[in-house]
Amino acid sequence: MRALRQQASRTQREGSEPQIVDRMVTDGEQPTEPPQLVQAATGIAVALCLMISVVHLMAVFLHVAPSNPISQRYDEQIDAWINPVFEQNWKLFAPDPDAVSRQISARTKRTSPTGAVEVSAWFDLTAVDDSAVKHNPFPSHTTINLLRRAWTAYLDTHGNDDQPRSQRARMVQEYLRNIAVDRVAGYRGDPFEAIQLRVITRAIPLPATKDGPQPAISIPAETRELPWWTVETR
Amino acid sequence: MVDGGNPMTTEHVRRVAPAPRHASPRTTEPAKQRILNRLGGSAADLTKQTISPYAAAVLRIGYGLLYLTFLLREFPHRDEIWGPGSPWTPALATELFTQTGWNSILTLSDSRAYFEVCYGAALVICALFLLGWRTRATSILFAVVVASFHARAIYMTDGGDNLTLLMAVYLMFTACGRRWSLDARRSRLRAVPDNVDAPPETPATSGPYQSLRAARQTVTTVMHNCAMFVIAAQVCIVYGAAGLYKVQGGTWGNGTALHYVVNNSLFRPWPALSAMVDSYPILVAAVSYLTVLLQVAFPFVLFSRLKYVVLAMLMGMHLSIAVLMGLPLFSGAMIIADAVFLPDRFYRFLEQAWRRARGGSPLP
Repeated sequence: MRALRQQASRTQREGSEPQIVDRMVTDGEQPTEPPQLVQAATGIAVALCLMISVVHLMAVFLHVAPSNPISQRYDEQIDAWINPVFEQNWKLFAPDPDAVSRQISARTKRTSPTGAVEVSAWFDLTAVDDSAVKHNPFPSHTTINLLRRAWTAYLDTHGNDDQPRSQRARMVQEYLRNIAVDRVAGYRGDPFEAIQLRVITRAIPLPATKDGPQPAISIPAETRELPWWTVETR
Repeated sequence: MVDGGNPMTTEHVRRVAPAPRHASPRTTEPAKQRILNRLGGSAADLTKQTISPYAAAVLRIGYGLLYLTFLLREFPHRDEIWGPGSPWTPALATELFTQTGWNSILTLSDSRAYFEVCYGAALVICALFLLGWRTRATSILFAVVVASFHARAIYMTDGGDNLTLLMAVYLMFTACGRRWSLDARRSRLRAVPDNVDAPPETPATSGPYQSLRAARQTVTTVMHNCAMFVIAAQVCIVYGAAGLYKVQGGTWGNGTALHYVVNNSLFRPWPALSAMVDSYPILVAAVSYLTVLLQVAFPFVLFSRLKYVVLAMLMGMHLSIAVLMGLPLFSGAMIIADAVFLPDRFYRFLEQAWRRARGGSPLP
C-alpha cells in the first residue's frame, strides 16, 4: 500500500512537470516561482487537511463502533476529539425496536384551605402526545421527542431506583418534573404543591402468524409510580 | 492518498493543456500503469479541482431549507424547545454545558427578548445560507446556529437533528457556494459571460500577491475535497452502523421488527395505514430484511453503478418513513445526505433542463 502510494505521488510529480512547461509557453512570460515560504506553508496546510480528515474519520468510526480493544485503548483521545460536536449514535430502532409501549401519567397534590390533602386524578400525558401525532404529517419535536427522550434519559440515569445517584440523574429528574408540571399546568389552571408520575409499560402484542392473531399471552402491564416531587415556582 | 509534496503547480490550472498522460491512448497502456496514472491523476485533481461542486450546493440548499422548515414548524413551540420557558431550563442547559463542553449562543442571556432576536437571526441565516449569499461566512454562522439550537435542546433531538448538525459543521469547509447560489450569480455577472467556471481573472500581476492567491486557492480546494470525502464517509458510517446494529437484534433477524415499529403510537400518524402494513406479515418481513440489507450494503455498492439502484431504494425507504412514521425532518436529512453520491453530470443535466424550461435564459 505504501509502495503504491509512493508511486502514485511520483506519478503525480511526473505528471505535473509538463504543465509547468506548458505554462511557460502559454503565458509567454518568465514563470515566477512562488516564494519558498508560501510553498512550504501551502504544503503543510494540504498535509494538515488530509491528516485531519483521516484522523477524524477514524475517530468517528471508533466512536460509533461497539467497544473494542482499539477504542478502549484510545478512549480518552477519541472522546476528546468527538465530544461534544461530533457525538453521534445510529442505533436507529436497533438492535431491536421497542417491544413495549409506555403510558406516562401525572397527578398533583395540594393542601386545601381547610387543611385537607387533595390528590387529583391521573392525567394521561402520553394520550395528549398520541392525539397530537394522529393525522399530523409533521408532528412537532415537543410531541415525538420531548417526553419520550426525557423518560429514556431518566431510565438511563436512574435505572429502577428513583433516588438520583449522580448529578446527571438529578438534572434529568428536574427536567422530567418540569415537563410534567408545564403540561399539567397547561391543561388545568389550579395551583398544586407536588406532582407524581406513573409509567405503565405494556408489551406490544406479538405479530400475527398464519394461523391468525397470536393468542393474547397476557404479559402483565408493569406499573411504576415515581415518588412525589415538590414543585417550586419557576 | 497524496503527500503534501508538490501542490504549487496549480496556478492558472484551467488554462494549461491537459498533461500528456491523459492524451495517451488507454487501450495500449498496461493495466497497472493505467491504475497508477489514474491514482496520480486523482492525486493531482485533489489539489486542483473542486470535486462535486453541485452536490455541495445541493447539500447547502437542502440543509438550509431543512433547518429553516424546522425552525418555522416549531414557531409555536419555540419557547418550549429552545427558549427561557423550556422545561430544560437555561440553568440546566448551562450546567450540562460545563459537563459536556457544549456551548450555545442561546444561553448567553435568559431574557425572552434576546431569545426572540436569536430566533429571528437564525431564520435569516438559514435563508441566506440556502441562497448562498457570502457563502463561506454564512456557512460558519449556519453551523453556529445549528450547533447552538441543537445544544440548547439536546434532550429533544433525534437522529435527523444529529445528522444535520454534522453536515452543517462539515459544510463550513466546503466550497458549497460555487454553484446555484447568489455568490455564483455575482461572479458570473462580473466575469466574462462564456467563462462561467473560471475564477474572476485578475490583471497578470506577479509577485507575492499572486502566489498567495494561488496558495489560498489550493488550500481552499483541498479543504473542500477533504470535507466532501468526510461527508461521504460519514454517510457510509451512518448506514453501516445503523445496519450492523440491527443485525444484532432478534426481531430484525426473524423479520418482525417492522411490526413493532408500526405499532409505536408516537410514530403512527396514520393508524389505518400502519395497521394495513402490519396486516401483511410477508411484507413486514421483506421490508425488515431489505432495510438491513440496504443499510449494510450501502458502503460497498458506492463504487459500482448498482449505487443508483440502492440510492433509489433508500430514497423510497426514507419517503415511506416520512409518511408512515411522521418523520419528515429525519427522512429529509437522510435524503439530502444521499444526494452527495450523485454525480455532477446528473446535476448539470438538471440545470440544463431547468434552463431549457425557462426558455434559455440564464439561471437566476
